[in-house]
Amino acid sequence: MAQPLAFILDVPETPGDQGQDPSPYDESEVHDSFQQLIQEQSRCAAQEGLELQQREREATGSGQQTLWRPEGTQSTATLRILASMPSRTIGRSRGAIISQYYNRTVQLRRRSSRPLLGNFVRSARPSLRLYDLELDPMAREEEEKQSLLVKELQSLAVAQRDHMLRGMPLSLAEKRSLREKSRTLRGKWRGQPGSGGVCSCCGQLRYACVLALHSLGLALLSALQALTPWRYALKRIGGQFGSSVLSYFLFLKTLLAFNALLLLLLVAFITGPQVAFPPALLGPVPVCTGLELLTGAGCFTHTVMYYGHYSNATLNQPCGSPLDGSQCTPRAGGLPYNMPLAYLSTVGVSFFVTCITLVYSMAHSFGESYRVGSTSGIHAITVFCSWDYKVTQKRASRLQQDNIRTRLKELLAEWQLRQSPRSVCGTLRQAAVLGLVWLLCLGTALGCAVAVHVFSEFMIQSPEAAGQEAALLVLPLVVGLLNLGAPYLCRVLAALEPHDSPVLEVYVAICRNLILKLAILGTLCYHWLDHRVGVLQGQCWEDFVGQELYRFLVMDFVLMLLDTLFGELVWRIISEKKLKRRRKPEFDIARNVLELIYGQTLTWLGVLFSPLLPAVQIIKLLLVFYVKKTSLLANCQAPRRPWLASHMSTIFLTLLCFPAFLGAAVFLCYAVWQVKPSSTCGPFRTLDTMYEAGRVWVRHLETAGPRVSWLPWVHRYLVENTFFVFLVSALLLAVIYLNIQVVRGQRKVICLLKEQISNEGEDKIFLINKLHSIYERKEREERSRVGTTEEAVAPSALLTDEQDA
Amino acid sequence: MGQCLRYQMHWEDLEEYQALTFLTRNEILCIHDTFLKLCPPGKYYKEATLTMDQVSSLPALRVNPFRDRICRVFSHKGVFSFEDVLGMASVFSEQACPSLKIEYAFRIYDFNENGFIDEEDLQKIILRLLNSDDMSEDMLMDLTNHVLSESDLDNDNMLSFSEFEHAMAKSPDFMNSFRIHFWGC
Repeated sequence: MAQPLAFILDVPETPGDQGQDPSPYDESEVHDSFQQLIQEQSRCAAQEGLELQQREREATGSGQQTLWRPEGTQSTATLRILASMPSRTIGRSRGAIISQYYNRTVQLRRRSSRPLLGNFVRSARPSLRLYDLELDPMAREEEEKQSLLVKELQSLAVAQRDHMLRGMPLSLAEKRSLREKSRTLRGKWRGQPGSGGVCSCCGQLRYACVLALHSLGLALLSALQALTPWRYALKRIGGQFGSSVLSYFLFLKTLLAFNALLLLLLVAFITGPQVAFPPALLGPVPVCTGLELLTGAGCFTHTVMYYGHYSNATLNQPCGSPLDGSQCTPRAGGLPYNMPLAYLSTVGVSFFVTCITLVYSMAHSFGESYRVGSTSGIHAITVFCSWDYKVTQKRASRLQQDNIRTRLKELLAEWQLRQSPRSVCGTLRQAAVLGLVWLLCLGTALGCAVAVHVFSEFMIQSPEAAGQEAALLVLPLVVGLLNLGAPYLCRVLAALEPHDSPVLEVYVAICRNLILKLAILGTLCYHWLDHRVGVLQGQCWEDFVGQELYRFLVMDFVLMLLDTLFGELVWRIISEKKLKRRRKPEFDIARNVLELIYGQTLTWLGVLFSPLLPAVQIIKLLLVFYVKKTSLLANCQAPRRPWLASHMSTIFLTLLCFPAFLGAAVFLCYAVWQVKPSSTCGPFRTLDTMYEAGRVWVRHLETAGPRVSWLPWVHRYLVENTFFVFLVSALLLAVIYLNIQVVRGQRKVICLLKEQISNEGEDKIFLINKLHSIYERKEREERSRVGTTEEAVAPSALLTDEQDA
Repeated sequence: MGQCLRYQMHWEDLEEYQALTFLTRNEILCIHDTFLKLCPPGKYYKEATLTMDQVSSLPALRVNPFRDRICRVFSHKGVFSFEDVLGMASVFSEQACPSLKIEYAFRIYDFNENGFIDEEDLQKIILRLLNSDDMSEDMLMDLTNHVLSESDLDNDNMLSFSEFEHAMAKSPDFMNSFRIHFWGC
């Protein structure tokens, strides 16, 4: 497809230029004139051009070529040429847009073998864009271009045509006319009214039916949108507080979706069948006091809520083979349901599905928010992209202006700091202070973990606490208070640190808070799986762990309510009435998001022991949404720290995936593979580990027959054998390595292309300067010629006068 | 031909608007409501026009520092017809494609309308963003130079459309922040 470009430079000449002077595209004269130009320039440059260039060089601060613009004497011809440069007409004139889209449709039709530069939706390079039309010797008029475009549009499918029209930067009226013109004849006939008496009656009836269906559809659509009550609330929050606070609420919605998915799987495959075939109850049912809502014990204990209630036999067993001594209650035509296997595989599959969904949404969000080489260009991005157009309130817009001003000043200060290198002594001192603060924060986290360990040991040992039900709430309360208080301590310590980059400060604070929470949760998990199991031999320890997690979840919610009440409402009242400050308390996004992640981690930890825990989490998240929204709108203002909204959702999802979900998965794997289930309750009461249920079933299958023999084979060679896992990990590592190399190569290509563009820019400036000097010279010659003819006329007039005289 | 579905809009027009813009049917009808409230009563919606002041004082645009440029770019001959308002809402909607947004952002930020974003335009943008004279002259010059050194690839001290597009394609925040909700429902 590459053809040699035919450069026909059609320069609109000024009227005085008709054919007398050497035109720039006459080759031999060009050489001569360029030679002359160079000589002239070297003579005159010292006077005019060099001065100007020096001035401009000082202004721009670099030794690059500049456009030579002497005052006042801009040649109109040069200006006309400059105005019709391709890069200047792009994005402005209708003609350029229409020809651009014509080219796109032509390329689409031809399906050129040469790869298109960039995506279909991105624009092509200027020199290629106007290649077909504007450099033709017969330049076409706008109407012709439009008719060409219409013809191309007609050849596309309707959906593609509409998609293309939607993306065109033209006004809606022009788009409508293009669409009208490109509608095919078949479409036109459909619009015509039917002829004939009977046909018109049918036509009208059909028309009325279609109309009724449409209005019904619209009503349904608006009803569906009314069912999502959050649309208006989210819009209000976005308008008042900006995108950063909005991202917290969107994250909350994401968590709700994850929990709903989990709950659906668990209810469908575990809870539902168990409710349909309830086991025989042993002993009297305890009476329901109000305390169950907080402790989860009491009358909640022997329900489908906890692990202990689930039977270890096959439900709905046909009466022929009473293997496990279960009750013989067959339903007519019912299928036998192996409860232990179902319990294990449902929990496993739901975790797997959650993992896949989480990794996919994290990768998707990462792909949208990070680009190769996006760390440079931060000033341009701040200037062009930092104003959030969604904001509609005056106070919020003023806050945004303050934020942007702070951010710009910080950027300039950072750049200046980088320019002036710091002394070795200063760097060492800074490193020492940083190390000290980190050590103190890690020490705090460790101290909290040790405190939790000691306290939980104390709770096991003390006999009087074991009897009371309310004493069960003490450990969750202590842990919750530690979770609330320790981050404040870390924040105070962080005030000692040197503040180089405020954005980094926020990330470091999140990191420390996360380490603290992980340390506490890790201690608790160890305590449950090692000590509690030992202490509660002969009782149902899984029920106890499930109830503990329920208590932690509820206590977390209660403390969050109290924190919102005191941290936001009361603080605002105090600061307004007593301290007379106009500033409302800030909405701390990082802390709130970490609280959500903590709650979700507790849910994932407890799913194995309490299948209905996601339902509790869903109710809690709904309440949290309304409480936080009300408190935000009444008491808070947007944070002063600049947050990049697009990066935030990626960071939240990454934090959810890596420490939170991974930790819960590790806990689950350990509990399933290593811990002996209790022998008095639950679906695994006769087995050594929970995983044995799967092995037992596989052994059943081996004796079942040749038709399902592939399943034990798969189990033996792919699941139990470690070689397969090693192979898959090695492949994954290879793929990651290849991707890293590809990205590195792309970075190099970007550097080379930038160099090339800069070279072409220099060429362009050089050519413009030369063009300008050519026209300057022509004008000067013109003026001097007019001057000499006048002088020639005057003496000849004198001569004739003299002759006459 | 065609009965009125809601207020005065024909359903064929609704279909066409929905096919040619990035707005959903509900959003188009909401904008139609807002338009009818503002335009003089008694006129058919296709012939009524709004002045630039009326559009500037819409709640969505009232506090925007670039509202005069937005009105200038999207209006025809100084007035807004209903289709102009729809076109504006379509560009700023959530589903609009990046190339369309970048194209109109370039036009909005080109204050002197010479087809390039040069130093003068950049300084005006920064002053509008901050809405005050808190920035000193040399800080303004510094910032302008930084922006140009980062995005100006061919060293002509101006940002052409391709350079602007390249800079915005690198920033994922652009799509997020260049959104306005015009409908009140």
